[in-house]
Formats: sequence, C-alpha cells, structure tokens
Amino acid sequence: MFLSDFRKEFYEVIVTQALFQCDHVQYTLVPVSGWQELETAFLEHKDQIKLLIKQDDDLEIPAYDDIFRDEEEDEDDSGNESDGSEPSGKRKRFEEDIMERTMKRRQRREWEARRREILFDYEQYEYHGTSSAMVMFDLAWIMSKDLNDMLWWAIVGLTDQWVQDKITQMKYVTDIGTLQRHVSRHNHRNEDEENSLSIDCMRIAFEYDLRLALYQHWSLFESLCNTCYTSASLKLWSVQGQKRLQEFFADMGLPLKQVKQKFNSMDISLKENLQEMIEESASKFGMKNLRVQTFSIHFGFKNKFLASDIVYATASLMENIEKDEPGTDNFIKALDSLSRSNLDKLHQGLELAKKQLRAIQQTVASCICTNLVISQGPFLYCYLMEGTPDVKLFSKPVSLCLLSKYLLKSFVCSTKNKRCKLLPLIVAAPMDVEQGTVIMVGIPPETESSDKKNFFGRAFEKAAESTNSRTLHNHFDMSIIELKMEDRSKFLDALISLLS
Amino acid sequence: NYLMTSFERQRMEVNVELRKAKKDEQILKRRNISFSSMGESLSPEQEKKNAVSTVHCCLSLEEIVQAVNGNNPELHLKATQTARRMLSRQRNPPLNQIIEAGIIPKLVEFLSRNDNVTLQFEAAWALTNIASGTSDQTRAVVEAGAVPAFVALLSSPHMHISEQSVWALGNIAGDGPMYRDSLIHNNVIPPLLALVSTSSLVFQVGFLRNITWTLSNLCRNKNPYPPLEAVRQILPVLIRLLKHEDKDILSDTCWAVSYLTDGSNDRIHVVVETGILPRLVELMASPELSVVTPALRAIGNVVTGTDEQTQMAIDAGVLTVLPQLLQHPKPTIQKEAAWTLSNIAAGPCHQIQQLITCGLLLPLVELLDKGEFKAQKEAVWAVANFTTGGTVQQVVELVQYGVLKPLLNLLSARDGKTILVILDTISNLFLAAEKLEETEKLCFLVEELGGLEKIEALQTHNNTMVYQAALGLIERYFASEVCGLSQLLPSGSMGRTVITCDL
Repeated sequence: MFLSDFRKEFYEVIVTQALFQCDHVQYTLVPVSGWQELETAFLEHKDQIKLLIKQDDDLEIPAYDDIFRDEEEDEDDSGNESDGSEPSGKRKRFEEDIMERTMKRRQRREWEARRREILFDYEQYEYHGTSSAMVMFDLAWIMSKDLNDMLWWAIVGLTDQWVQDKITQMKYVTDIGTLQRHVSRHNHRNEDEENSLSIDCMRIAFEYDLRLALYQHWSLFESLCNTCYTSASLKLWSVQGQKRLQEFFADMGLPLKQVKQKFNSMDISLKENLQEMIEESASKFGMKNLRVQTFSIHFGFKNKFLASDIVYATASLMENIEKDEPGTDNFIKALDSLSRSNLDKLHQGLELAKKQLRAIQQTVASCICTNLVISQGPFLYCYLMEGTPDVKLFSKPVSLCLLSKYLLKSFVCSTKNKRCKLLPLIVAAPMDVEQGTVIMVGIPPETESSDKKNFFGRAFEKAAESTNSRTLHNHFDMSIIELKMEDRSKFLDALISLLS
Repeated sequence: NYLMTSFERQRMEVNVELRKAKKDEQILKRRNISFSSMGESLSPEQEKKNAVSTVHCCLSLEEIVQAVNGNNPELHLKATQTARRMLSRQRNPPLNQIIEAGIIPKLVEFLSRNDNVTLQFEAAWALTNIASGTSDQTRAVVEAGAVPAFVALLSSPHMHISEQSVWALGNIAGDGPMYRDSLIHNNVIPPLLALVSTSSLVFQVGFLRNITWTLSNLCRNKNPYPPLEAVRQILPVLIRLLKHEDKDILSDTCWAVSYLTDGSNDRIHVVVETGILPRLVELMASPELSVVTPALRAIGNVVTGTDEQTQMAIDAGVLTVLPQLLQHPKPTIQKEAAWTLSNIAAGPCHQIQQLITCGLLLPLVELLDKGEFKAQKEAVWAVANFTTGGTVQQVVELVQYGVLKPLLNLLSARDGKTILVILDTISNLFLAAEKLEETEKLCFLVEELGGLEKIEALQTHNNTMVYQAALGLIERYFASEVCGLSQLLPSGSMGRTVITCDL
C-alpha cells in the first residue's frame, strides 16, 4: 500500500500493518516523500496497488468521460483553423458527446475548454478529506478486526489534522464524535481490565482538556508561551503581552514559581480544578476556546499522553534535523515511537517538539516585532533570511507550515489593518544553502468561516510557468514548493500580478 | 470581496450542474433505447417526425412543442435538451423546422429561469445554434426578445451560462451592423468587459476566447461603423487582450483592431492614440499566421491615414518587420505587406527616406521581380508612389537598387491598370533624370533591359490611356531629337529602326 505523505497517511500505516499482521498478509511498506517518488514506486508496484477512499467525503471527482477521451486522437486539421482567414461571423456549438473522427478542430477545442474548466475546478483547491488513519480504522472496523490500538492511531491521525489546521472546526468535531462512539465501545468493554497494571494494557479516554501544547510534559508557563492560541491572543511578543501573562496567572492564583516548574511537580492542590480555573480566567482575557475535545491514552503505570502530545512528538521526529539522516530513516524512527514499547523514542520526540515549538514562537515574535510580514497586495509575505536563528528547522515542510499558521494567526491579532487580516500568507525560508534553494509555502487566510481550502498549488504552478522559474512541485501538498533563490523575485512578482 | 468567495460559489454550482446534467442525460438515453427498439414500419407521418428527430432524440418535434408549452418543468428541460441536441448535430440540423414550430419565444422565456440553471443553459445553447444560421434565422431569435435576456445572463453567477450567452450574443452581433448596434444599445458592453476581468483571473482561456470573438464582432462591419463611444469603451480591453499569450485570443483581438482601423482617419485616430501600435507591430512578427494576418491588416489600415498616423506606425517599428513579411511564404501576406509599403511610400519624402534607411528597397525590388502577381501589383504601386513623392536622390537610389528591370518586365502584364501605373512611374523616372541631365543614360538602360521594345509594343494596346501614355513616353524621351538619333518611324512602315544612344 502507499504511504503518500509522511504526515497524512503516517498513522494509517500503523493500522494497516496491524491489519496485515492479523491476516498474515504480505505487504510492502514504501514511504515516499513526494510525487516523483510516488510515480516511480507506483510504476514498480502497480499490479498490487489499490486505492482507498471514503465514500461520504464529498470529493467531487469529475466523471471519467469529461476528462478522458478514449478514441484515437484526431489528426490535427492542417489548414483552415490555423490560416489567416477572418473569424467567422457566426459559430455553431456542436454536440459534445458525439465524437466523430471527422470532428473539426474547433469542436474539439470546445470540449477541451470544458475539460479544462472541470479540471480547473477540481484542481483549483487543495483540501483535506477524512484522515486516512480514520479511513483505515473504518476498514478495520468493518472487517471486525479493530483493536483499541488502531483506534488510538486513528485518533492521532485526526488530531494531526487539527494541529496543522488542515480541517475545519466542524469536520474536527464531527470526526471526534465518530471516534468517541468507538472509544466508548472499546473502552467500556475493557473496564474490568482497567485495574490490571500490565504494561500491555492501554485505555483511551475522552477528554475535554486544555489545548496547551505538551503542558503535562512541560511547565504550564512554557506551554502557555509556546502555544499559538494563547501566545497570539495575549500577544506575548510584546511587553504588554508579557504583563498580561503575569496578570493571567495572578488571576488564577497561580504563583509564577509554581507555573514555571515541571507540571508533574506542581502542587497537587493547585492542579485540582486546574482546567476549569484556567478556562474561566482565560475567557476574561479574550480566550474563549482554551479547551478542546480530544482523547488521551493511558498505559503502564503512569504513562498518560494526550493525542496532541503524540502528534507533536512524531512530527518532530520525522523532521528531525539534528542528525542529517534521510527522511525515510526519520520516518521509521517516528513509526517506532508510536509503538508503546518504544517510550524512549517518544520521549525523545517530546523533547524535540518542545524545541520546535519554542523556535516557532521566537521566530513568530521576531517577525512581528521587526515587521517582517509585509503585504504584497493580494497576499502577505514573509521571508526568513539565512542566519535567522533556527532557520534550518524551517527548511522542512511541516515545520514551515506550522510556523506559517502560527505566524498568520499572530499577525492577524497584532495588526490593526482590517484588509490585511483577510489575506493569505506566503512564507519562504532557505532550504539548501549550497544548492541555493528556497522552500515556500502558501496558506489560506485566517477567517472564522474558512473552509481551509488552499488555492496556492495552482497559483504557484502558473507563476512558475510564466516566469520559467526553476521550481519543484514535488510535495503532495501542492502549496509547498521549492525554488531557486535567484528566481524568487520574479516568481513573486508573477504571483502578485496573477492574484491581483 | 475576497477572491475566494465567488470562486467557491461558482465552483460548487458548476459541479452540481454537471452532475445534474449527467443524470438527465442518462434518463433520455434510456428512453432512446425503448423507442428505437420498437422497430415497426413507419408511417409517412412517423418518417417525417424521424426526419427531424434522429436516433439520438427521443421526443418528436410535436412532443417538444407540447412539452414546452405545458406546465411541467421537467418536461420543459427534456424538451429543450432534445431541441438542443437536434440543433447541435453535424448534418442538417433542423433550424427552420424548430423555428417554424414556434418554440423560440418559449426558449427565450427559459433564459430567465434562474431557478433552473440547466434549463437556462440548454435554452441558451439551442438559441445560440439557431442564431448561428442565416440572417433570417438570427432574426427569429432576436425578434423573440433574446437580446436583453442574454445580456442579463452575462452576469449569471454560473460561468457556463455566461459563456454561452457570450457566444449567442456573438452570433447575433455577427449578423450585421444593425444587430450589433442593437446589442450595444441593450448595454451589452459593460457586463462583457467585466467578464474579461473575471475570466482572466480564473485562467479560463476558453471563456476568454469566446469573449474576444464576440468583442470582435462588436467592432466589425461598416455602414454604419460601430458607435464611437462603444469603440472607446472596448479599446482598453482589446489592448489588455493583446498582452495575452493565447494565439486565438491574439488573432481575434487583432481582427477587432483591424476592423476598427478600417475607416476614416478619425476612426484610425481613436485607435492609435491608445498607444496600441508597438504591440501590433510586435505581433506582425509572430510565428502564427493567424496572428500575423490581422496584425498586418490593422497596421496596413493605419498607414492609409494621415502622415502623422503613418509616422506613428513607423515610430512603432513597422519598417523593421515589413521586410520579412515582403518575403513571407504566404502570398496574401506578401501582398498586404506590399500594399502597406505602397501607402507609406505615398507619404512625404522624410518617410520615404525612412524606407530607404530601414532597408526596404531591396526586398521591394525582389518582390517586384519574383513575387506572386497580386503582390507584384502592389509593389508596382509602391514604386510608383515612391517615384512621385521622392526626391531626385531618393529616386536615383531606387534605380540603383535595380528596380528598372522587374518594373519593365511587368509591362507584359495583362492588367491595363498596372501597365498605366508602370508607364507613369517610368515617366517619373525620366523627370528625375532630366533634373540630373542624365536622360540618355536612362534611355540606354531602358532599352538595354528590353523596355523600349515593350513600350513600343504598347502603342498598339487596346486601352486608350495605355497607348497614349506609351506614345507620350516614346515621343518625349526616345525621339531622335532628344537622343540625337534618327526619327522613329511609325510602326507599319519598313520595320524598326535600330536606335542607339550616345552615352
């Protein structure tokens, strides 16, 4: 089966692997990092490939006939169509589904125009459907081979989409509901076994917990500072923001010394009713959505993780730049970390994630304070220069995307310009200094009713075409591209005129 | 309004429509099978019906009329779709039968059914095809009130509807100046121009092509010309379209400009003052014949204007591109290039000088020598104009480029008009020679090149003006007094006298 994207279907692999193991099915695991590798691998394995799509998802895939014509291609009419004759005064529109061999080129053009329109609509936006991990879990469920483990992976898959802001709130909530039913079903049954403290036993629980990143494995203070939602709402890049943070803690009656300690070391008395307390204070400070529906996993003696913790940890492992290893190695490491017998890898991931989140936060703060986010007219733009601290981290697509999302959200909170608040954002960072390449990502605007649909893929393609820029559109997420440093200006200029 | 919202809407609606249309098609197809499987022998009436409805259509014309006049909306759609199908087939679509069935007013009514987009689309398509026929057929559509309905649909939120309306209106405008102006009075231009903006944004080349073609029809036709105000509104958009890369769009836009420049100098002025000329000249060098042809035509029109307008064309670089067009593989291009050249050569001598400095003389002479006849004729005019308006020095230069030989060769042409122009030209050459006191030299050249023979022979030409001109030349320049030779004997007596000239 295909793993078309380290992130998206990462969790799905686990489920499938387990499924295959159940049935003693032979399988080949082929991680691919982009379209090119996908093509190669596809050709190599094409006999064994099947495509899995969830039916309910409204994917709006065009009808076959609208896009492909199976008859032989007509020979181009040499002659009339390309000569210098005057355009006809009147033109008839011919039937589209009667394709005779003698069909004139002009009619063919009409069909092609329609096809282009359909394809354009289809390809215009990118967006994410149901998490493939969830799809795989569904499959497993239908096959009655679902296990709690698999359910957990489906949960992580969904949470990943939420963390990366790839799906709408509504979709998230709907899918949570679906998963919750499964959780009840599984974990109700296992209630008796709950008391056993075997290391193999795990329990999933529904939570309505704080959306503070990694807070149970960090300090409350750090978590608050490095979570986009709180940092943007409180505007922590500014002096007043820092003051507000202190007022916030004061309002909750939490001494600074305590909140800067590791969460597990905090006074138990302070942790009682923490969630409700924080929520109450938060809404006074304009943060009404500090809690979110999610799930947690418990196993062994004291291992408790929120789904988002796992998401951050595995993401950092996959894009780990600390050792210069090829992506596939990182992928395997990340895969390993999901297994409960590899806790040390998971903890490594958590530490890396903290570094990543700090780096993101600091970069965002610096960009906002030094006005690095500028409006180009139809979009906002930010370029991270070489030499910017942690810039190497952002040469990786997911990290860069996460940074971009946080940057945009923070920018929207910081700017008074009403128009700028509605613009999408493009962020670019050096990718490979030796090769002189830059990685660029485009994200849709930050609006409440956003459907998270991204048109940059198409726009990037067009801009590259019209300027002959040397770009690589290899990422499955077409709104992420690589391009040569020298082509950056003309590429951007083309984008600006394209989108104006 | 951020870009995305209208995008989203359009995108969703198009997809819904496609799916719905597909579903309806399925229904019709199924009915097809049941009908054609009946297979009885056909009564004459049935045969008549079938003549109209082929295997592909399931409703007969009668049934269509009934359905369309009834109250069942589903039947409205089915009938309209069937009609559209009939009207879209390749061979003998029954335009007149559909018109005579009297359903056009109903189809026009369906255009306003915003609640049923598929119906609107089918009706629009059907009407487009009826309007694509003869003038009478187009008239049937217009008289049923289609124009305001289509103009309104230009602003439809559904792209395929607005596109179809563009097409229909293009057909109507293309019928002639009357309907063209009627469209303009029905305010077709503003929504049409607005569509250019949105369709460029949405990268819809096909749509843009349609719009460009319709715009070209709005610029087309004379007696009368399109209203000047409309031309002024359209021109900026044409200029924008000229920057596009698609060759069909470029071609139709150039045609539009060629129509707009085909008129009085005031009309030319309105066009050239927009600064469009450099781009047009650029397009004259396009590798695409379909672009070169109208670009050349447009520029050719411009240089029929005032000296100032011609100068603007020269300043835009037309003389740099013209040489290659004079040698173009396509004869019509050669001809039009020569025609353009001839009009520039009819200008003041400083413009004639630019012809020389830009190296037009050599290709001109070559064209005169080896070009296609129609191109040669134009070249003759170019040379004639050159010798009329040029200074003595300029004329000398033309002769030095070897114009005399091919010019004289063309005296054997059948075309009296051309011969006259050549004789006139030769006369001009002699006038210049006189000023330099080199008449004898010219006589010698003419004779050496066999020109004298030809001119003599022309004295018996059946065209009065020709033989008078020939006679005049001979008398004036080849008579013995001038050259110091024995008198030329009239033909018919003792054969020819050999004439020699002192150098």
